[in-house]
Amino acid sequence: MKTTWLGTALMGLIVGAMILVPFVWTGGEAANLVALILVWALFAIGFDLVFGTAGMLSFGHAALLGSGGYALAILTVAHGWGFMPALGMAALVGAAMAFGLSIFAVRVSGLFFSLLTLALAQMIYVLASTKLRGLTGGLDGIAGVPRPALFGIDLYDNDNFYVFIVVVFLIGLGLMALLRASPFGRSLRAVQANEVRAAQLGYNVQRLRQAAFVISGAYAGVAGSLLASLIFYISPQMLHWSVSGDVLIMTVLGGKGTLLGPVLGVAVFELLKEELSQYTQYWYGILGAVFIAATIFLPNGIAGLFAPRRDRDKGEGR
Amino acid sequence: MTGGLLRCENIHVAYGAFKALSGITHEFRPGHVYGLIGPNGAGKTTLMNALSGHVPVAQGRAFLDDRDVTGLSIHARTRAGLGRSFQITKIFAGMTVLENLEIAAFAHRYRVQPFWLPAGRFLKVREAAERVLEQVGLTRLAHRPAEYLSHGDQRALEVGLTLLGEPRVLLLDEPLAGVGNEQLERAIGLIQRIVTGRTVLLIEHNMDVVMRISHEILVMVQGQILATGSPEQVRNNPAVRSAYLGEEP
Repeated sequence: MKTTWLGTALMGLIVGAMILVPFVWTGGEAANLVALILVWALFAIGFDLVFGTAGMLSFGHAALLGSGGYALAILTVAHGWGFMPALGMAALVGAAMAFGLSIFAVRVSGLFFSLLTLALAQMIYVLASTKLRGLTGGLDGIAGVPRPALFGIDLYDNDNFYVFIVVVFLIGLGLMALLRASPFGRSLRAVQANEVRAAQLGYNVQRLRQAAFVISGAYAGVAGSLLASLIFYISPQMLHWSVSGDVLIMTVLGGKGTLLGPVLGVAVFELLKEELSQYTQYWYGILGAVFIAATIFLPNGIAGLFAPRRDRDKGEGR
Repeated sequence: MTGGLLRCENIHVAYGAFKALSGITHEFRPGHVYGLIGPNGAGKTTLMNALSGHVPVAQGRAFLDDRDVTGLSIHARTRAGLGRSFQITKIFAGMTVLENLEIAAFAHRYRVQPFWLPAGRFLKVREAAERVLEQVGLTRLAHRPAEYLSHGDQRALEVGLTLLGEPRVLLLDEPLAGVGNEQLERAIGLIQRIVTGRTVLLIEHNMDVVMRISHEILVMVQGQILATGSPEQVRNNPAVRSAYLGEEP
């Protein structure tokens, strides 16, 4: 789906305003929440390259997020690596994990791709919880995941760490904007729109899908690292299939196939969760109802509100 | 355009127990237009699918300019110089006509798609797409989403997508299917222009068009080539007449 120029600008303004809130409202609390949103948004942006742009419903993205997080935690806590090299390595580990999964997964399409990614990711979840206990700390996870040390600034202060996350997020967002607008991004959309025609034109469809998955893995790896660093902790929970489900819900809620839609989806999801969980332990059920209502009344997600009417009526945003 | 010799050697294709093609052998000479005719289910489209890599060949070989392409994937055959249009229109919905053509141009020009610049910055690609846009007569619809085009215009776009690969061998599967009378002459003119200088296999039910454009006709029945010859010879062949009319000889 294409949003209008004005729609994209409006969405950009909303995201920009959200990023600015913690600068006005200091004290760490707002920074913590928006940081969480931006980290998940980074994950969702990467997820949507596979889901919204290339048209593959991955149900195994938790494995990519988690392996990135574990890579950073293990390298920094157990091997004394600096934060920045470990962050770079986490991106590579996320990409490598994605490449590994893709060897099996891109051979099949549609539902089989979803199920295969789910199965492979659950396998990794079980491995991290049990067999690889020596490396991952098993169900106890790894505590004391550090934050970066840069230019002598105290990044254990939430407001300062927030700035770091904003910078990483904006770099990730900018790179994704370029990727999506590039011939590579267009070829992914072509594969989604008509796979047979794309192959007939000379595109190596499997290779393109694999590339999208690997890039997505790098995004997930970075997001997982930042998440672990934000809460100083990682456990197999980050590898759990429900994480893959959450990022899917966030992306659909925000509007798949758009650059800023997933960011808004994450924001709404996290804000609702934050508010609802203060009142009831059944917040996830209410969130589910909101999601169902959204799929009925906003079939193109929140971004659909910013699309031309012609595209809005079609339901599926393609 | 040089080259474009397509050779089939004893090609067999089976769907389970059903033999869709049994032993197709033929040499398609460069620059010639070959009309494939025959009743429904004769294997015309299956032959195109086998040549372009959409169905596996059970037995036999296909050569493009003496290169064995039998085991190659669809995209590799395209890069080897083979173009294909489909009976059922396959275009990219959700994108404009010009974007459709640009995607075809990028596929032809780059093995690894550039990811470091926005697509709009590639002016050579834009020019190539615009040339074809004009060739197929869709310039005034350049910025219309492809799915909103009339059927006839979509067929023209389908042909345009194929052209951007600069194929030496072109497989056209019913390019006129569903084109209305008012657009027919324009569509025929387009096909006549694009087949020039290429090796072309043409499936078309409009007999006037096939006979007019083709240098040679292949009559297919039940997965085999029943007869070949000039349009004149085929028209007067009694076996062809009976096969086509469904009479016992």
